[in-house]
Amino acid sequence: MLRFGEPQVAIAIVFGVLAVTIAGAALVIAVHAKEDVPYDDVSRSGYRLRRPWLAFLCGLGVVAVGFSFFLLPYASGGGNDTTVAVSGGQFYWTVDPAVLPAHEQVRFDVTSVDVNHGFGVYDPNGRLIGSVQAMPGYTNELELTFDTVGEYRIRCFEYCGLSHHNMVASFRVEER
Amino acid sequence: MEAHAATTVLHRDGTELLATARLSDRRVAWLFVCTGLLLFCVMGLAGLAMRLSQAEVFTLSPSWFYRLMTLHGAGMLVGALLAMMGALWFVLRTTVPLHVGRMLASYLAIVGGAVLVVIAVLLGGFAAGWTFLWPLPFDSFAAWRPWAADTFLAGMLLVGAGFFVFCLDLLMQTTAAYGGLQRALGISFLRNRDDSPPPPAAIAAMVVSIEGLLASAAGTTILVALIGHAIDSGLELDALWAKNLTYFFGHSVANLIIYLAAGAVYVLLPGYTGRPWKTTKPIVVAWLFTLLFVATAYSHHLYMDFVQPEWAQGFSSVASFGAALPPAVVTIFTGVVLIWGSRYRWTLASTLLYLGFMGWAIGGTGAVIDSLIPINFKFHNTLWVPAHFHTYLLLGVIFWAFALFVRMLEESAGQTARDGVSAFAVGALLVGGYGFVGAWYVSGALGIPRRWAVHPEGTAGYSLAGSIFVIVFAVGVLVLLLECLRLARIASVYRWDRVPASRASLPAVRDGEPLLTTGFQFAAVSAAALVFLGSFAPSITDATEESVRYHHLQHAAQFLVGLLVGAAVASMPAVFARIRRHPNFGIALVVAGPAVMLLVMLPSIYESFEGNDWVHLLYHLGITALGVVTGLAAGTLGLVTGRLVLVLSIGMALMYAAGATGG
Repeated sequence: MLRFGEPQVAIAIVFGVLAVTIAGAALVIAVHAKEDVPYDDVSRSGYRLRRPWLAFLCGLGVVAVGFSFFLLPYASGGGNDTTVAVSGGQFYWTVDPAVLPAHEQVRFDVTSVDVNHGFGVYDPNGRLIGSVQAMPGYTNELELTFDTVGEYRIRCFEYCGLSHHNMVASFRVEER
Repeated sequence: MEAHAATTVLHRDGTELLATARLSDRRVAWLFVCTGLLLFCVMGLAGLAMRLSQAEVFTLSPSWFYRLMTLHGAGMLVGALLAMMGALWFVLRTTVPLHVGRMLASYLAIVGGAVLVVIAVLLGGFAAGWTFLWPLPFDSFAAWRPWAADTFLAGMLLVGAGFFVFCLDLLMQTTAAYGGLQRALGISFLRNRDDSPPPPAAIAAMVVSIEGLLASAAGTTILVALIGHAIDSGLELDALWAKNLTYFFGHSVANLIIYLAAGAVYVLLPGYTGRPWKTTKPIVVAWLFTLLFVATAYSHHLYMDFVQPEWAQGFSSVASFGAALPPAVVTIFTGVVLIWGSRYRWTLASTLLYLGFMGWAIGGTGAVIDSLIPINFKFHNTLWVPAHFHTYLLLGVIFWAFALFVRMLEESAGQTARDGVSAFAVGALLVGGYGFVGAWYVSGALGIPRRWAVHPEGTAGYSLAGSIFVIVFAVGVLVLLLECLRLARIASVYRWDRVPASRASLPAVRDGEPLLTTGFQFAAVSAAALVFLGSFAPSITDATEESVRYHHLQHAAQFLVGLLVGAAVASMPAVFARIRRHPNFGIALVVAGPAVMLLVMLPSIYESFEGNDWVHLLYHLGITALGVVTGLAAGTLGLVTGRLVLVLSIGMALMYAAGATGG
């Protein structure tokens, strides 16, 4: 059973608010579209707003993209107590070891023996933690720390053939 | 009825699209838009079948689900592309003398490619997805036959070739009409060196054509490499390289559909506002940024491929966010200024046009959010992804395609669609459309993976809700089409084939220039050809036997020698005077030449020659001859297009050399 993750809900709410705002703005503009206002007046007022609008969006971009660079999911390359070899194949996963310690950083070395797959990890409550691709000939390193013990489910996140949706596996996290 | 048409269908100061269009131009527009919308309707039904199966209303076998998924993806891409190619081509014809024959050749290639895709999927069972990620087409677990993969890849190659031809004509004719690259892109205007810049649609066409040529070249490279593997299984490819090229092609073409549409909107909107959409410096700057960002944003498809260089991930994140700025600050913003207080003429067509902006803005917002890497980590390949791209493609681009379709019918019939019917259709499209994508956004937040025939347990309700909304949307489309049929009947009685009262005079096209125009350029090209002639040296040949990549790099250098020689010969006054009259041959050869060069670069071909030095040399000379032919052909396309084709041709050879790992 899947459950909504907290970050996902927060992001979806932000998006929903923005979408409703855009729709509301479209409604307001549609109402005013029927009026008869000299174009010079509209363009003077409108283009006066453009620079602040550009500045706002650029500022938002710098803050959002800049902040995101501090939260990249890419492996930092050190300090892992446990390394897990993950390999995807049509249509199975091998995870070695399959029992992992809680509260320690674990590095998953994810690869594929045939086509592209996606290593999507769900916590014991059914919330999506994140995903990384499993690519033939390459190893993607994903670092995660698990604070909840229990069974974590893996679902394939890259279309890989007719049994793609059956490519499900799991591993356990236990207190050491 | 004709006398009142302009005031009935459009704003009192609006200009009819059809009034000045030649019959052949109108027919081309009808052909592209109708084919595109037909494909959209058929593929939409395939999409509905998939949603109903996920909702467990009935069960599609995994084979059929993934076949429909493949067909839906490729078919929707082709449908929207055709509709918007026709739209931009049609609105641009009043200012740029685009070539009807080349447009029809492009149509035949794209539709021919689509037919091959349909055969591969329906008869051959091909179900690797429209993204055909290496090596899935060849690793099906016997789910589809090898010929099906070959046919699908050949079909996509044809689609890419058709789009390449379209972009070539667009670039050649637009630069010729406005006197060179800088003028046509508006750069001269930006630098205060040009008082009469091209209209915004022409600048959009320039950006789309350049990006389209880049994307098609990448697509040709990966598709020929895949076909090469189908012919010779000894040719192995690098998975990361293949994924980069596939998404550079697929993402860019899908993205360019929006920009094709935006170019058409510059002409469509003033018909309902009575205010012309003029070229301003912000518009030029916006399109120049778009030129940069569209080419670099594709890499966000590889965010979760951690081995992709981190600088590329970071740049892609910046580009993906940055790509939203030109529409938000210039195109949509200016559209609002043009609409506000304009006594906007609300008709079915103009309402769809207006709502298309909203879909673009909302879908774009969803995309921008997903373009932040930590957020993408939580949403990558969940249903959030189809949610946001369906918002701007279905509720943006397809709304615009219908807007153009309805407008042409309303102009032809001399009357608008009925108000009540229009309100019902638009209401159903809005409720159905936003409900449909809304179910996907929620499902994405829930972490449901995309491209799953059977969704995780307990989530079928979201698919059921989505399916109901799709049915509401489909009812809206049906009502809209029935109203279009009514308008078409009126048009067939009154004005369908009317001769235009007046035809806008087309700007004079400047004569094309040769690729090389100065003695220094001839000297530089000759010197470079001499340097690369070293690639024929036996010691180089022996050294490159160490690795397939070096071997292919040697072939690329030999091809480059041919390209340079061909370009130099084509630029000689006596030769240029003869070949310049045959640009259609030139187009055919620049499409075929590089593709053939890549296709003969197969281990099973060249290894059989390696036992005999003379035969081996002849093979290398053959590669060079293909370069000469391509270089000569590029010489017929004018300075800007010809030079870009030269760069792309050698770029394809180098990309191919970088990606082939086996053999």
